[in-house]
Amino acid sequence: MAGEISVEQLADEMYGVVAENAGMKKMKAGDLTKAMIAKFGDQVSKQDCKSAIKLLIDSGRCVYGYYGGSSIELPRTEGAAN
Amino acid sequence: MATQTERRTDIGPPHYSQFLHPIIKENYGKWKYHETLKPGVLMHVGETGTIYSVRAASARLITISFVRFMAGLADKYADGYLRFTSRNNIEFLLANKDNIEPLIKELADNGIPVGGTNNAISNVVHTQGWVHCHSSATDASGLVKVIMDDLFEYFGSMKLPNKLRIAVACCLNMCGAVHCSDIAVLGVHRTLPRIDHSTLGNLCEIPTTVASCPNNAIKPTTIEGKTTVKVDEDKCMYCGNCYTVCPAMPLADPLNDGISIWVGGKISNARTEPMFTKLAIPYIPNNPPRWPEVTSAIRNIVEIYVKNAKPYERVGEWINRIGWAKFFDLTGIEFTKYHIDDFRHAGTTYKRSVQNRY
Amino acid sequence: MSDDLKIPLLDELEKGPWPSFVKDLKTLAPKKPMVRDLLRQLEKSYQDKRGYWKHGGLVGVLGYGGGVIGRYSALPDEFPGVSHFHTIRVHQPSGWFYTSEALNELMDIWDAHGSGLLNMHGSTGDLVFLGTVTDELEPTFRDLTARDWDLGGSGSDLRTPSCCVGPARCENACYDTLELVDNLAHRFQDELHRPMFNYKFKIKAAGCPNDCVAAIARSDFGIIGIWKDNIQVDQAAVAEYVDSGFNVKEFVVDNCPTGCMSLEGKELKIDDSNCVKCMHCINLMSKALSVGKERGAALVMGAKAPIVEGALLGSVIIPFMEIEEPFEEMHDLLERIFEFWDEYGKARERIGECIERIGLASFLEQIELEPLPQMVTQPRDNPYIFYEEYYEEE
Repeated sequence: MAGEISVEQLADEMYGVVAENAGMKKMKAGDLTKAMIAKFGDQVSKQDCKSAIKLLIDSGRCVYGYYGGSSIELPRTEGAAN
Repeated sequence: MATQTERRTDIGPPHYSQFLHPIIKENYGKWKYHETLKPGVLMHVGETGTIYSVRAASARLITISFVRFMAGLADKYADGYLRFTSRNNIEFLLANKDNIEPLIKELADNGIPVGGTNNAISNVVHTQGWVHCHSSATDASGLVKVIMDDLFEYFGSMKLPNKLRIAVACCLNMCGAVHCSDIAVLGVHRTLPRIDHSTLGNLCEIPTTVASCPNNAIKPTTIEGKTTVKVDEDKCMYCGNCYTVCPAMPLADPLNDGISIWVGGKISNARTEPMFTKLAIPYIPNNPPRWPEVTSAIRNIVEIYVKNAKPYERVGEWINRIGWAKFFDLTGIEFTKYHIDDFRHAGTTYKRSVQNRY
Repeated sequence: MSDDLKIPLLDELEKGPWPSFVKDLKTLAPKKPMVRDLLRQLEKSYQDKRGYWKHGGLVGVLGYGGGVIGRYSALPDEFPGVSHFHTIRVHQPSGWFYTSEALNELMDIWDAHGSGLLNMHGSTGDLVFLGTVTDELEPTFRDLTARDWDLGGSGSDLRTPSCCVGPARCENACYDTLELVDNLAHRFQDELHRPMFNYKFKIKAAGCPNDCVAAIARSDFGIIGIWKDNIQVDQAAVAEYVDSGFNVKEFVVDNCPTGCMSLEGKELKIDDSNCVKCMHCINLMSKALSVGKERGAALVMGAKAPIVEGALLGSVIIPFMEIEEPFEEMHDLLERIFEFWDEYGKARERIGECIERIGLASFLEQIELEPLPQMVTQPRDNPYIFYEEYYEEE
């Protein structure tokens, strides 16, 4: 049932997916949610996934990126000016 | 100032009610009718009071000094209350009718015209252009300035058959959604993206880049051992979608970027249903700073419309009545192969009867 | 410094009667190196006929995925003042109403933290602060929220909803556009700040079919005010229009798209059962005619500009719905739509394109709405029907 996996654990799992795909595929919020539901079935809810993404971002472990669509990425040094 | 210990998030916008003039608050939802007293001046009559709106033009790109100046005028004439319209005009909300003329005079003394109501050309909605955008094929602020300089007489008067809405978008992304305006000015690219094969593989996801193309023109490939993409010349429509997802595919081409002009769209349901704009002129070269070819092309369309449309016909309604052949005939605009659609719903635009005017 | 600001092409845009952005920007250039370099870079664009901005980036305020758009000059060595030139979208109040006090406060914040350039407002509706550096994003956000302002949307999120002037200053408003939009913005804060959709999702609320916020053209979800009963007619006022010399017959009656009205003497007769609520007569005779009493809104979905699959206008999914506080029916509907989009949408596919791909009928079924003839201009004319019901031999 939903709630069996903690939000912290989900965030860790999501971080793993983002790190694994870094540089190859930009993960969207929906991709991460789908990946978690595929892995844990009804042990997780969409709301759990939302909370986990919020934790991932609020903690600074991941950041939002944008190239034609929003994605969740590893923080990088700013791709600034130079 | 709030203390800095607590970081506030997700508070949403402030409630609008705190920004409403007392007369507006009292008559909220209780307005009876309105009249246009003169170009740019509206009078709304409610159950318990009357509010006068003075509509002033503004550039869309403005400074804090300009806004502070306008706020000062609001304090002086409008009890500190003002609003902005969906077309970047500023409306001062006056309780006192006697303040209308002094406000208009002070605006005029500072180079700010009043108008844009009813059968006028109101302010032009537009995008960021060369001022701030990576994919623009032209500037927007400058184009709007020269277009409105040229059509200035129609802002402060109400002598058109109906209202006429102009919009400028600097590329096909159309942040300004020009696809439903009476006259639309649209920046266009005309050549293939210049692919930077040395960086594309690092900067962009190949599958995403391939999938971004609405016409399947992009295919993965390998060049000098590097994974990259190629673009099918015959299929590319220069839309810039690939560049949006992949920065290694820029489209800017100073020699070939330019302007297209579209006509006959509308949003309102009045009389006829909302309509898309249709192509009038496929390409005019960029000629900054004053784009004379663009302003004269637009003036031509406006003047022919004024001369030929019946009262209350929008541009698109007028053209639908007289037929497109006649539109091209009257305006002297050349009809070319580019005017015939060849994308998704092209077939629906082919003439499927022999009803034509000869 | 500003005396050596040489921008001869842009100087040409100081001429003419329309307000000049160049003139305005020049007043700030001596105080703000960012404005000075913006003008210098723009001058180069005017010379070279091309833009010099780089693509997006990974900037924002902590926790939010929307509200900030990263922007960098492609020529930072030549124009160091605009090497960073990020945009901050500030969530506007419903109807774009302000007091001078609120505006001055906002300008003070932007003076302290950015270039001092802005748009009142952007195409989606936000108050747009143009041009700041990454390090100023958090401090700007802190000062904004301290004064009860928040950021708007950007990226694949719920974009800042916007509305027309509505009942605040318009007799045609068929529902409270301002309150609805304020309510939705607060109800869906998470969707607004944390991109979780396939692509952007825009909501626009227009109070009547004149649609002054272009809901039919520019919103994925448009709420357009409408009424069901009769146009309210004040015959004495009609007679005044006739007596004033205004040609009611030619301008109003003959322009009615369904021919549902006639003028008999000085009396206007309307066959309301044939009225399509186009607004033309009401627009022209504001004193005599007004919208009916049984008011609500039609809901349209799927409008968008061309990118990716071509431009779309919104199409009707609910021909009439009452719009009353606390707007729970609207919340439920939007949640069903988001759920559907989550399930069926593809990356970078707007919901209008998604609906076209899977079919309006399937979409309606998924979000639990009944198909109605008001949703089409005509029934299908092609016989390729996906029948789902059939008899089987006993």
